Amino acid sequence: MDRALVDMKSPVNFRMTRRGFLKMAGAGLTAATLGNTLLDFATWEKEVQAAPIEMIPTQCNGCGNRCGIFAYVKNERIWKIEGNPEANGNLGLICPKGHGYVHELYNPQRLKGPLKRVGNQFEPISWEQAYQEISQKINMILLENGPQSLFWVNYPQSNNLYALRLMHALGCPNYFTHGSTCYTARNAGWRMTVGELPSNDLGNARYILIIGRNPAGGIDLAEVKKIVEAKEKGAKVVVVDPRHSETAILADEWLPIKPGTDLALLLSMIHVMIREELYDKEFVKEKTVGFQELEDETVYYPPEWAEKICEIPASTIVRITREIAQTKPKGLLHRGYHGAFGSQYLNSFQTARALAIANSLLGNINREGGIYFPKSAKLGELQPKHPAPDLPTIPKGDGTGTLGRYPVGSYGDGITHAIPELALRGELKAGFVYHNNPLRTNPNPKRVIAGYKKLDLLVVIDTVLSETASIAHYVLPESFYLERTEAIDTKHSGKRAQVSIQQQVVKPLYNTRPGTQIIIELAKHLGVEKYFKFNIEEANRIRLEPFGVTLEELKKKGFLFVGEEWKEGLPQLGTPSGKVEIYSKALEDMGFSPLPRWEEPLVSPDSKDPHSFRLLHGKQAIHTHAMTANQPYLMEISRYYDMVRLWLNSERGRRLGIKDGDEVEVESNIGKGRIRVRLTDGIHPSAVWLPSGYGIYSRNLKHAFGVGLSYNDFVPTLFDPTVGHAMTSEVIVKVRKA
Amino acid sequence: MPRYGMFIDATKCVGCHACRVACQNQNELPVKENFNRIEEREYGRFPDFNREFLPVQCQHCDNPPCLKVCPTGATYKRKDGVVLVDEKKCVGCKYCMVACPYSVRVISEEHGIVEKCRLCIEMVEKGEQPACVTTCMTRVRTFGDLSDPASEVSKKIGKYRAKTLRADLNTKPSLYYRKA
Repeated sequence: MDRALVDMKSPVNFRMTRRGFLKMAGAGLTAATLGNTLLDFATWEKEVQAAPIEMIPTQCNGCGNRCGIFAYVKNERIWKIEGNPEANGNLGLICPKGHGYVHELYNPQRLKGPLKRVGNQFEPISWEQAYQEISQKINMILLENGPQSLFWVNYPQSNNLYALRLMHALGCPNYFTHGSTCYTARNAGWRMTVGELPSNDLGNARYILIIGRNPAGGIDLAEVKKIVEAKEKGAKVVVVDPRHSETAILADEWLPIKPGTDLALLLSMIHVMIREELYDKEFVKEKTVGFQELEDETVYYPPEWAEKICEIPASTIVRITREIAQTKPKGLLHRGYHGAFGSQYLNSFQTARALAIANSLLGNINREGGIYFPKSAKLGELQPKHPAPDLPTIPKGDGTGTLGRYPVGSYGDGITHAIPELALRGELKAGFVYHNNPLRTNPNPKRVIAGYKKLDLLVVIDTVLSETASIAHYVLPESFYLERTEAIDTKHSGKRAQVSIQQQVVKPLYNTRPGTQIIIELAKHLGVEKYFKFNIEEANRIRLEPFGVTLEELKKKGFLFVGEEWKEGLPQLGTPSGKVEIYSKALEDMGFSPLPRWEEPLVSPDSKDPHSFRLLHGKQAIHTHAMTANQPYLMEISRYYDMVRLWLNSERGRRLGIKDGDEVEVESNIGKGRIRVRLTDGIHPSAVWLPSGYGIYSRNLKHAFGVGLSYNDFVPTLFDPTVGHAMTSEVIVKVRKA
Repeated sequence: MPRYGMFIDATKCVGCHACRVACQNQNELPVKENFNRIEEREYGRFPDFNREFLPVQCQHCDNPPCLKVCPTGATYKRKDGVVLVDEKKCVGCKYCMVACPYSVRVISEEHGIVEKCRLCIEMVEKGEQPACVTTCMTRVRTFGDLSDPASEVSKKIGKYRAKTLRADLNTKPSLYYRKA
């Protein structure tokens, strides 16, 4: 053994030399830099080791959180990323998607130039030709059908301001995000109750009750870090979820609720708070309206009633209600995201309302350790220097914000899964899809394909040939996130607001352009250049003006704190009464229940049929929507750990003769598929759970094609009557051994 | 002389695999080669159920079985306890892979040699922490000097009475675990 005990010496990490050498030599990228030394490893090794490593701050694009990162660049190649400790949203941490998505830069399946559909094929064309042809077609469609026939849909990001400006310049109101398939019910519930969507002060909370949300799976790095820190300081964490989520692993207690019944749990918690006078009386008196009506309503919801519906024992409901009330105002019910009431059920909107009301009864609104209104940077306006177009005068085609249609729906997000329906009805004729893939991420893909294919013009801006890009008339390739600079970002709100920037780290490898440049160039060709007489550099400078910081400072640091610190206390709220609206007169006037009342989910599994289950879905930490499945570094984890499987309750599986790893057939009234099962006691017997992010059917995404299933293949096209959200867990499937 | 090691709080691991990909990037590993494995176990019956993830990487044993079987002396242990492979001496015979009871050694297809977790020793020598430590959102790993009783890692090992994996094998790992 002694022979191996050598002196301390710094070993060279040979992978940074030899492997890098082979990679670069193989890629033919070294010819210019190496000259005669090509394939002379020793010389090259010296050069490479001497080459400086640059560390450039930017923002990750592996999901919508846009975490602060430092990109390490050596010899013009990305080596790795590290977390920016300043960034509110990730506090120096990076998730697997962030590390893995970096490799997309070098994915050979990336788009390398603009494409035009000719028959069933794509042909490469120039940017100029693409812009000219797209503009001619759009102007023709606008002339014949008016601005209501056009739409733009994208995943939310800072560039949206310019997409919105472009749509408004064309007189078009039809701007969409993916919200109706994700979070609009939650947002509407909070908005109608306290005026806006708040945040959770997890780090200071002493009791954290999380219903449906799984920040350790649908990753929110800062939230998870704070939950762990709160626990270390003695906080109790309770997770209510039909599945033993990754967050449940961190919890003190897991309460496997019957899916779709979270509203019953909340109503009976409210019942207990009132019956036992556990609520914050002063807060209720001073800061809320409609408490008396709530008391009258919730008298019908004792825990014994809720137990029969949600299958959480009445004694447990009483206990957790007493426990959380003891910690008030430093106890909170997590504001939620997608899971449980983001866009899942017919009762999701009222569930979000009940959750907001339960928090209010704890008196924790805008309090430390409770629910708080985060500080968010208000960017400088481009006008008057660059006048903004007038707001569109015609209503949005999906009916959001329109009385008699979806008045509580989010006008800003729109109802994204209504786009194919409006196209099938001939109301939408042309559209842009940017950083979004509705053909895979909307429910009922057959219908979505039919709708998008009926368009006279579909333009997709993306980095790969996604399902949606694959049926487009034109595909405009966006530069990868490490190759482009974007609009100033205000996403990282918190106890103090932040501005941040995603900036170019390496030169574009192919004939691609940044999204903002594409929008500005489209505007010029569409004849609305008067609203776009700026470039992103100038626009970013104007945006920063109110904060007294320069673009140079921001580029150097990546993230800068701006504005004042958050303070406790409840200002005038953005509700009609300026208070917490337990009872909502506005909802009553629109013909909806002014108080949360128990309502059943739209559909429920047949308890007499051993094959009948509710189909649930959720994120795994390694995938974002449909955009990471094609990344080999991430997909290899799915493959090695067999993570694409359907979760099925052990006892239910046993009764069906299904063993762990068996293949089953899953069938709903709109779709059918085959998948292997993970037999587990970590899921409620009435449901099966499918991880999201799989089921890629674009043949152009070779690593992901045909692996696993997507829940969207089983979910019918549904619109919640209040908000318009997609109700993506209102689906019953039959599971049989294949 | 420090003796480097880790405290691994498996009760906090949510199985996200950020450590794996951070490590792959740090060490420029190809897709199928990695130094961090995560094992998952389920406990109990519905609804009294729990599960645990166990991150496993090179245990940097004080008595490393891999070292004993290496015919070329490629595997060596530094005075600070870090077990490394000298790639110039490794002939890729894989004896060490068989000998390692933790199955944490990988063969590099490209180079025909055996590789494994190196505790990011270049970073550590610059005063930084290994990539798997800093990326983790629940702070599963605490890295530091085991020979210093005042170090955070030593304190946590003491506080949680952390144990090594398969202590019965007398490999004397430098990685200590807290498990449920």
